[in-house]
Amino acid sequence: MSVKYVPVQWNRFKWGYDAVLLLGTGLFLWVFIDLAPGVLSHERPINPQIHNARAFGACAFVMLTVILCIGPLARLDRRFLPLLYNRRHFGVLTAMVALSHFYFILNWYFAFSPVDKFEAVLSANTNFNQISGFPFEILGVFALISLLILSATSHDFWMKFLTPPVWKRLHYLIYPTYAAVVGHVMLGTLQDQHNQSFTIIVICGAALVAILHVTAGLKERIQSTKTSGWTKVGLASDIDDGRARIALLPGGDRVAVFRHGDRLSAIANACAHQNGPLGEGRILNCLVTCPWHGFQYNVTNGQSPAPFTEKIPTYNLRVEDGVVFVNPAPNAPGTFVEPVASPLAESTS
Amino acid sequence: MARYESPIVTIEALVIDIAGWWLIVGAIVSGAFLSFGIDRIDEDARGAYAFRPLLIPAILLIWPLVLWRWIKIEARSEEWLRRYQPPRAAHLPLAILLAAGLGFAVIAGLSVQQTWPSQFAPERLSEVAQ
Repeated sequence: MSVKYVPVQWNRFKWGYDAVLLLGTGLFLWVFIDLAPGVLSHERPINPQIHNARAFGACAFVMLTVILCIGPLARLDRRFLPLLYNRRHFGVLTAMVALSHFYFILNWYFAFSPVDKFEAVLSANTNFNQISGFPFEILGVFALISLLILSATSHDFWMKFLTPPVWKRLHYLIYPTYAAVVGHVMLGTLQDQHNQSFTIIVICGAALVAILHVTAGLKERIQSTKTSGWTKVGLASDIDDGRARIALLPGGDRVAVFRHGDRLSAIANACAHQNGPLGEGRILNCLVTCPWHGFQYNVTNGQSPAPFTEKIPTYNLRVEDGVVFVNPAPNAPGTFVEPVASPLAESTS
Repeated sequence: MARYESPIVTIEALVIDIAGWWLIVGAIVSGAFLSFGIDRIDEDARGAYAFRPLLIPAILLIWPLVLWRWIKIEARSEEWLRRYQPPRAAHLPLAILLAAGLGFAVIAGLSVQQTWPSQFAPERLSEVAQ
């Protein structure tokens, strides 16, 4: 038994998040569409179709840039975690905005072609062997299809059905997608800019995304110090009661080491439901609650309390001179592991 | 299929037709999976119907993956360990590849930007002919 699927698991935070999201998107489009002719002073007069296409395209680029910044920011600084929790709604809205951009482009630039509109998108420019005049439309089509796949597979069901490894691999598609979007913009509309402000904005956005991702990746690599096959987690005394320290294992998985009173236990950091970060949850009566959807697990055996049936792997711990080490090899989901005594509790008791 | 009346079938027309057939097969898979398949392989979906329409777009797009997972779950041929090992170790290499890809896109775009000469105001090089 488990929790039945619902279209959206609403809570107060999600309502607020989505309200801010919609307001921000609406404001961006309003400024671009209604104020832009005066404020942005386009060099040449453009018709409403082109103006709408540019507005939605610019909006999708900014949204995608923000989405790609949220992940590494949350890994670098926990204060950004609340932004990460509801990122899927951000992604779905971005895909819708990108689809609107495609709609305006399709029904203006390709609407008067003697061949089918969709066929015209593919056949209008086939100079694939040169950078100057490269068919940037194809990059946009690839990015749009990828965004649709990513947003369509964002429901809880897909993580469980596809399994986290397959789902994660599928969602790594976001990286080539963003590179394609930057290529689409750089080789497309920015080829015709007299005012270089947009060029600078795009380059700064791309640079920010690149720097944040590489920095977050390097930070995690440096933190995952290995010691004779066991991974060093840190000082036992640094783990607050009822809380966890998350450690990166050599294989790339994360483990959450919890203190519950004078004992330490370790479980996989990924919730069985949707890979939520269990290590950011709090323990109450040996049960940790996933901050994303409220699933609970006993930290000594990785099992959800009856009648629920979710199980996650557990890990073996050892403590030497007050330093906690974890065995990177996980135990089968639901395996009981005797909690280890915490030196801090021993010295204070 | 009117465009096939011409003896020359363009690659673009073929791609669009394949895309159409892809969606048609996806719709058939979607109908089968959502009407009885999902109940067989996921207990959390039994009795839950409101969320199912949300799955249709994804099934239309990635139906081969859906079929593969459906068969695999029905056959119960999964190893538990693999389910709990998302490939997070790929974060850093992918971040570096992303940075390289973005750098290439930016440099390629700037190197062929065509409008810079026009940023200079035109200068009259000779007197107006009388």
